[in-house]
Amino acid sequence: MLSSKERLGLRVQEAVSQALILLTYFSLEGWLRFRRYRISARRRTRAEFAALVGDERGPLLICANHLTLVDSLLIQWALAPGWRLFVRPAWFTWNLADKHNITKNVFVRILGYLGKCVPVLRKGPPEEARRTLDKVAFLLSRGQSVLVFPEGRRSRVGRVDTENFTYGIGRIVQETPSARVLCVFARGLGQREYGNYPHPGETFFVRLKRCAPTTSFRGMRGDRDLATQIVGHLSEMEQEYFENAILDR
Amino acid sequence: MDTTTAFGKIVGIIKPFVKNTTAFGTATDGTRIIEDLGVNSARLVDIILAFEDEFGIEVDDESADRVRTLGDAVQMILQKTAPAH
Repeated sequence: MLSSKERLGLRVQEAVSQALILLTYFSLEGWLRFRRYRISARRRTRAEFAALVGDERGPLLICANHLTLVDSLLIQWALAPGWRLFVRPAWFTWNLADKHNITKNVFVRILGYLGKCVPVLRKGPPEEARRTLDKVAFLLSRGQSVLVFPEGRRSRVGRVDTENFTYGIGRIVQETPSARVLCVFARGLGQREYGNYPHPGETFFVRLKRCAPTTSFRGMRGDRDLATQIVGHLSEMEQEYFENAILDR
Repeated sequence: MDTTTAFGKIVGIIKPFVKNTTAFGTATDGTRIIEDLGVNSARLVDIILAFEDEFGIEVDDESADRVRTLGDAVQMILQKTAPAH
C-alpha cells in the first residue's frame, strides 16, 4: 500500500503538471520538431485515438512496444494535441520511466516531473516493483491514463520481444479490471534496432488497437497469461506493420 | 521429500533460465538466483510457476519475493510440501 505521503506526492505532481501542461507539451513538441521527427498520418491517429477512447471516463492503460528513449514522448504527441490535453487532463498520460534516465540532470528531472513520469528502479528489489505497481493502481483509480511498456525494457531484438517480457502489465490489469486497454504500436520507418534516440528526420508509424485481455487464472499465473495476450497483440500489430508499412509512406 | 531431492529438482527447473553456467556448475544453497546465476528477474515468475507445477504447491507473492537463493527455494518448497500436523 502507498503511504499517504506518496499518494499526496502523486496528486501534487498531477496538479502541477496539469497546470503547466501547455508549456511542457510545446517544449517537448518543439524538441521533437527540432529533431525533424514526424508522425505518419498524425491527424488520422489522433482522430482514431479520440474515437477509441471517446467520451468514456475512467482508467486507461496504454500498452506500447518499446525501442527508443523517446517512445513515450512520440506516443503522447501522436495521440493528442496540447490543447486537447489541457481540456482532457486524463489523456495526458503518466509514464513509468527508468529512474536512471530521468535523474541525469536537473533539466531532465524537471521535465520528467512535469511530464508525469513515475521513476522506476530497474532490476530493483521486489518491494520496489510492488510500490511501482501500487502507484499505477492509485493513478488508475483516479481515472488517469498510464503508458506502460509491457516488454519491460527496450526490445533487444529490434522487434516486439515475445520471449523476454515482464509480467507486470498482467498484474496491473488484474488489479484494475475496470481499466480500458489500448495497445499502441509505434516504430520509426528507418528503425532497425533498439537505441537511445531515433535518427533526426525519422518518420514514425503509429497504430492503435483496443483490446480486452481476460484470464481464468489468478496471481502470477494470471499475470503471465494477461501479459502474454497484450504482448501478443503488439506482436500482431508489428506483423501488420511489416506487411503494410510501405503503404503508409 | 528431503533437502537433497528438493535441491536436485530445483536445479533442474532453473537450468534452462541460467546464463552463468560456470556459477551454476558449482551452485550451493547460498547461490543467488538472479545475481549469481544471471537469471533474468522477469523469468523468476516462470520458475516459481514451474515449482508450483512440479511440487503441486501454491506460492503467494510474499513467499515468491523471499526466494533469493537456491536455499530459499529449497526451504520454501520443503515448508509447503511438509505434511500438515
